[in-house]
Amino acid sequence: MAWLLARYTGLANILVLLNFALPRLLPGDPLDVDSAEGMNAAVSTLTAEARAQLRATYHLDQPLTGQFWAYLQDLGHGDLGWSISQSAPVSQLIGERLPWTLALMLTALIIAGVGGTLLGLVSAWRGGRLDRLIVSTASGLAAIPEFLVAIALLLSFAVGLGWFPLHGGRSVFAPGPPGSAGPLGTFGDIAWHLTLPALTLVLAATASFVLLTRGMVQAILTAPYLTTARAKGLAEPAVALRHAFPNALLPVLTLFGLRVGQVLGGAIVVERVFAVPGLGLLAFEAIRARDYPVLQAIFLLSSLGVLLVNLAADLAYRWLEPRRGG
Amino acid sequence: MAGNVARGNRGAWAGATILVLMVVVAALAPVLAPYDPRLASGPPMAAPTRLHPLGTNDIGQDILSQWLWGGRASMLVGVLVTLLSTGLSWSVGITAGLWRRTAAPLMALTDLLLALPGIPLYLLLVAVIGPSQGNVVLALGLLSWPAFARIVRAQVIALRGERYLEAATALGASPLRVALRHLLPGTLSLLPAKVVLTLRFAIFTEATLAFLGLGDPAANSWGTMLSWAFNDPLLFLGRAWVWWVLPPAPAIVLVVLATTWLAVGLEHTPERRPTRPRNASARAALPQAAGQRASLRPKPSR
Repeated sequence: MAWLLARYTGLANILVLLNFALPRLLPGDPLDVDSAEGMNAAVSTLTAEARAQLRATYHLDQPLTGQFWAYLQDLGHGDLGWSISQSAPVSQLIGERLPWTLALMLTALIIAGVGGTLLGLVSAWRGGRLDRLIVSTASGLAAIPEFLVAIALLLSFAVGLGWFPLHGGRSVFAPGPPGSAGPLGTFGDIAWHLTLPALTLVLAATASFVLLTRGMVQAILTAPYLTTARAKGLAEPAVALRHAFPNALLPVLTLFGLRVGQVLGGAIVVERVFAVPGLGLLAFEAIRARDYPVLQAIFLLSSLGVLLVNLAADLAYRWLEPRRGG
Repeated sequence: MAGNVARGNRGAWAGATILVLMVVVAALAPVLAPYDPRLASGPPMAAPTRLHPLGTNDIGQDILSQWLWGGRASMLVGVLVTLLSTGLSWSVGITAGLWRRTAAPLMALTDLLLALPGIPLYLLLVAVIGPSQGNVVLALGLLSWPAFARIVRAQVIALRGERYLEAATALGASPLRVALRHLLPGTLSLLPAKVVLTLRFAIFTEATLAFLGLGDPAANSWGTMLSWAFNDPLLFLGRAWVWWVLPPAPAIVLVVLATTWLAVGLEHTPERRPTRPRNASARAALPQAAGQRASLRPKPSR
């Protein structure tokens, strides 16, 4: 247990250090006139005084240790820097966008996790043609990159059939004044906009749950305790759900932790296709404007988030499976 | 020999055929492409005609030429990343498996890289070092080796106690020679899986990064084609998406699916040589094999 916590704390520390070091490892000085180029050419028009002031603002006048200390203090206050392109604190931008991404990821992970494990159970239990159908469909879908699944869904259901909106998180030209639809109407509108993005993530993430659960259940199909359950007169669904299923669930928990990082990457891509105003679209805008503080904050927060989920999965695993010890 | 590997496996054959075709088309792009993909060669957003079989994009570039050259760029990234990543996986795996002193730091690095979420990391890295095709190759190649480094190390540890290695050392072979001549061949059964998975990952991720705006604006790959298309706010107002989005998207899917079929096919094909059980307990569980091996072993002279 202590070892586990130490491991995760170490990883988190390395992440913070990496985030601090990455821009400083690059050659050049943002306020040096000679190395300034492109957009930074404005630096050459600054007076020496203004330059010194900028240096002080970004703690660049201090030695590396002092810079690191200032960085840690800012981080502790929740200060993630200043977005160059949007002239706003990065933390505020992320606060506005995070709910969209979280909503997408949570919906997708829950549907893919629950649906995938149930499909895997059915697949292993029934076997035969149904099994082959489920396995080949799931692994085929997993082989397609998220942004192509997203484009395919967009082309067929939004462009072709017109059942879903082309882009955005909510209707821009909704009838009536803003908020007139009521909370339920707003929720429905957002859900309608997020259906295709969430479906993309579900399609990409389900396969691993199906395959893992299927493998686990297949391994215990002939276990004596299932014969016992049948012998005492339980119906087949009860045997599957009450006696076989719980034993297949533990590895799924670990998989859940492992998938979070991938679903996050998927969400970033999918938001770009459907223009959902989440972290992914923020990242895309930041890339176009070369807004490094925003990209750094997104990387730091997402990797810390993924670490935290994995820690939670590890702890839950230990709690559910005491034999693994800790 | 190569024929044996995929015999009786239609998936692997189909995958290999598609891949070979794609590679040939990519290699012949300069000959096949009717126009220079970088130059405007027709009216913008023109529907397919005989002069432009796949139409033109928003600035009048010929889409067929772009598609052909784009495949070349995508495949090249795939091959280079695979070479780099495979080399690193094997170097790290063998080093950490043979020289125990290096195991702790190397495996710590491996674990760290495995714990990071890929896409946000690549986004930051490529944005910081600059989105050129070379940097994309570097970022993907330098960060995609950990999973197989662990697998190779496990295999090395399983082989480490084998007598033929001891014999080679006893005959005076240097550690490097033992590693390269005697140990390396024992890990090569892992190679097809690594190559196929990394190729798929690289083509996949290069397209994704390009789509997110981190492609080389001068390079022209399937990913950058899609990125430019989606940058056009009027894409879905007309019919242009039909000839603009449809060629590159299925091409990426086809390559990715082909590599997947090949990987699955290779996985299910029984190996030509009987594999060595990975660890002692597995070996003990195969008494026949163990007995055979014991009888083959020369009796120790006393």
